Amino acid sequence: MTTEATPQDQAQAAKTSPRALTRQRRRHSAARFWKQYRSHRAGLFGLTALLLFALIALTAPLTIGSDVQSVTDAPGGPLESPSAEFPLGTDQFGRSLLGLVVWGSRVSLLVGLLAAVLSVAIGALIGITAGHFRGWYATVLMRITDWFLVMPTLVLAIALATVMSRSLSTIILAIGVTTWPTTARLVRAQTLAVESRPYIERAKALGGGHWHIMSRHVLPNVIPLVLAQTTLIISSAILAEATLAFLGLGDPTVVSWGGLLQDAREAGAVSSGKWWYLVPPGIAIAIVALAFTLCGRAVESVLNPRLGVAR
Amino acid sequence: MDTHDRYSQYDRTKLTPVRSLRPIRLLLAAATAALTLTAALTTPLNPAPQRAQAAADDGKDVLTVAVAQSVDSLSPFLATRLVSTSIHRLMYEYLTNYDPKDNHAVPGLATKWEPSADKLTWTYTIRDNSKWSDGKQATAEDAAWTFNKMMTDEGAATANGSFVANFRKVTAPSPTKLVIELKKPQATMAALDVPIVPKHVWENVGDFSKFNNDKTFPIVGNGPFVITDYAPDSFVRLKANTSFWRGAPKFDELVFRYYKDQDAAVAALRKGEVSFVAGAPALTPAQAASLKGEENIKVNDAPGRRFYALATNPGARAKNGEKFGDGHESLLDQKVRQALFMAVDRKTIIDRVFQGHAVEGEGYIPPRFSTYHWKPTDGQKLSYAPDKASQLLDQAGYKKNADGKRVGKDGKPINYRILCHATDPQDKAVGKYLQEWWGELGIGVTLNCLDNVTDPWLAGEYDLAFDGWSVNPDPDFVLSIHTCAALPATPKDTGATDNFICDKQYDELYEKQLAEYDPAKRADLVKQMESRLYDTGYMNVMAYPNAVEAYRTDQIESIMTMPQDAGNIYGQDGYWGWWSATPAADGEAASEESSSAGVIIGIVAGVVVLAGAGAFFTMRRRATAEDRE
Repeated sequence: MTTEATPQDQAQAAKTSPRALTRQRRRHSAARFWKQYRSHRAGLFGLTALLLFALIALTAPLTIGSDVQSVTDAPGGPLESPSAEFPLGTDQFGRSLLGLVVWGSRVSLLVGLLAAVLSVAIGALIGITAGHFRGWYATVLMRITDWFLVMPTLVLAIALATVMSRSLSTIILAIGVTTWPTTARLVRAQTLAVESRPYIERAKALGGGHWHIMSRHVLPNVIPLVLAQTTLIISSAILAEATLAFLGLGDPTVVSWGGLLQDAREAGAVSSGKWWYLVPPGIAIAIVALAFTLCGRAVESVLNPRLGVAR
Repeated sequence: MDTHDRYSQYDRTKLTPVRSLRPIRLLLAAATAALTLTAALTTPLNPAPQRAQAAADDGKDVLTVAVAQSVDSLSPFLATRLVSTSIHRLMYEYLTNYDPKDNHAVPGLATKWEPSADKLTWTYTIRDNSKWSDGKQATAEDAAWTFNKMMTDEGAATANGSFVANFRKVTAPSPTKLVIELKKPQATMAALDVPIVPKHVWENVGDFSKFNNDKTFPIVGNGPFVITDYAPDSFVRLKANTSFWRGAPKFDELVFRYYKDQDAAVAALRKGEVSFVAGAPALTPAQAASLKGEENIKVNDAPGRRFYALATNPGARAKNGEKFGDGHESLLDQKVRQALFMAVDRKTIIDRVFQGHAVEGEGYIPPRFSTYHWKPTDGQKLSYAPDKASQLLDQAGYKKNADGKRVGKDGKPINYRILCHATDPQDKAVGKYLQEWWGELGIGVTLNCLDNVTDPWLAGEYDLAFDGWSVNPDPDFVLSIHTCAALPATPKDTGATDNFICDKQYDELYEKQLAEYDPAKRADLVKQMESRLYDTGYMNVMAYPNAVEAYRTDQIESIMTMPQDAGNIYGQDGYWGWWSATPAADGEAASEESSSAGVIIGIVAGVVVLAGAGAFFTMRRRATAEDRE
């Protein structure tokens, strides 16, 4: 990102320390970002939905408590239809489905976030190093990336989740290590573009090493891209988590949205018409995935003005 | 029925060496398809042509059964899955069968059987009115050949080898006389669940461990049905054997169709595409409840023949004394096992997980087999008492630490790994309860749900495991899997053992009951064994799940359950159900009508939509044309 230096800034520059100056510059650019972001109505909608879900997930221990998972203290009868006591009905153990969906949001969001962070971290690392070092190192890394890119993600994730023990970390790992190649490709392209700029050459001439160039010059320039990519990958990670849990590869003792769908299927809710077991977790998955996508798109178009016109 | 069938679709196939038959079978199937040109038309992926075919040769009564298992092998020497052994019951006549009323042995291929005075020689009289489907007479020579093959060829002993382990010599002095000499007395001689195969067909088979009996159709047999077609992981088609000695079955054709998803099978039943749904292993309570209200559908909810248990790893070991696996050391203590027993509320499991579709577990053998069913005495019973369980654990030296967790002798908090079948919802559901019940005792539980539990199971790498077996009218097999003799020879071998139990007292009783030819005395010995097994705390039988299955009454008018008063239909110890099933007078027609009505409605709706769309577009085009002008 580029910053415009206003006359005031220049005037202040003489007085204040460089650190304060940077802080001020960042504040300005954040404000500008937010101003532009606000103009994307879909992005605002996504953000609101996300904040709402985050709030629900974070306050779940206070509002419903972890007792909602307990099968031995389940308050209702099995598969009761929605009523005043249980607004979304009950599951096969007699637990309140509303409570379970709320509680399940914690796991689904957590897995989505961690898996996306892991995926983007791997992708960014590989992308930056491959773009910076070039040569045989980049060739080898990019061929590996290509290999992962053509592998069907879900199949690979299922294979990984099958061979490892069933736990949340397995799922996070399985999603993380299978979804990074697109990020790696994007980041590498951006790195190449950044590194061809003259100031990188200047930095090199002034004695900047590999680490300095990658961390001080390339990274800040690819961060916006990485952020947008993260937001977009979260939604696919949440979907992947739900898919894996639905396929029975998740930890059966952990309540998540995908796991609820799997429970519903195993209880025969589909053929016996117990829609309230299937619909709430399904809708929740759809809304959160949509919200993340909308946010990601909005961030993308703010950061990349060329995209903004089209959308 | 046959000894090794596990109660549900996952088979631990502990008794079967690993085989890789798939590619061969696929090849064979392809060849068959090419030869007959029918297989492709009759796969469930192509229901429409199949229906058309059924309609074409009208007047044919077809009974389609949705099963949740695929066939592992059509060779009776290899097959261990319930679906396959059920089909073998229909293909081949066994020496004896079980009475559908009270499970006593009744004539099958043999009309009479009696032991000699020294209990070591059994003479069977073979019936002279049973013919193979290719016209040849079935004789004692076929039976003798079948047994001799299993005794001499290891490959042929894969599935049913345990039956002939104690045989010294089998001969057929005449076509109607079979003589079996034993090494030791054996009380189960009227319960030899071994399909007798035609010698003239099978003597040409080379390698029994690889031959799957799915090359040529129809497959020669002498049971009530003859297999005419088979596609792996898809279906098995059988036609009625009109010359069956007990009388021809009333349905002309019987099809076992494999449905991987139980919801899909239930939907197919609702639509009338299948006549019968066998659960995997039972319909879920929700499915049963929703089908109960349905017109023309009957839900058969009857006492089952299996038990559902929690097995403890008693320290896996081999016959050569070598120990292996990594079972938790605390489980070697009987007090700990009993405490765990007492912290399981079986009643809640029945009420909540099975929702009443099961009976609370007590002894090892289900109450349906009343001769052998045993109940713990009041003093012996380990009923649900968490407080007592807690005391017992304290006594055993497993005390709680500051965090409220019980610690093992190694000072680490106890955390048991429970092996559970990923495909079985019941395992997962019960596991959730165990986690909470045992959590209150201060014991952690990790559910290790796998698609393939065989590997850790055989390696002894578990602490507890969900376990279950179908019990036969003769309990010998399910008792034998807990004897020391069933342990693997070395840690690398596969034994017949269920979960490495080896108890001297139990073994002594086992030997005694096997040699006891007096039924009442034998039953008493079997009960003593169950009592011993209960006290050891190795096997916590939590429930006897019901057989919950459903069928269309507009396609099947009547069908025999076993036991006749209240029993299961699929997976019987005999062929009674499918043999006795009577087609409903207007059954097939009704379902045909409803489906064709559906098709007509669909077509009409499609035409209406198309016409509407067409009209809309022409009007729009006209409008724009006018606008242009």
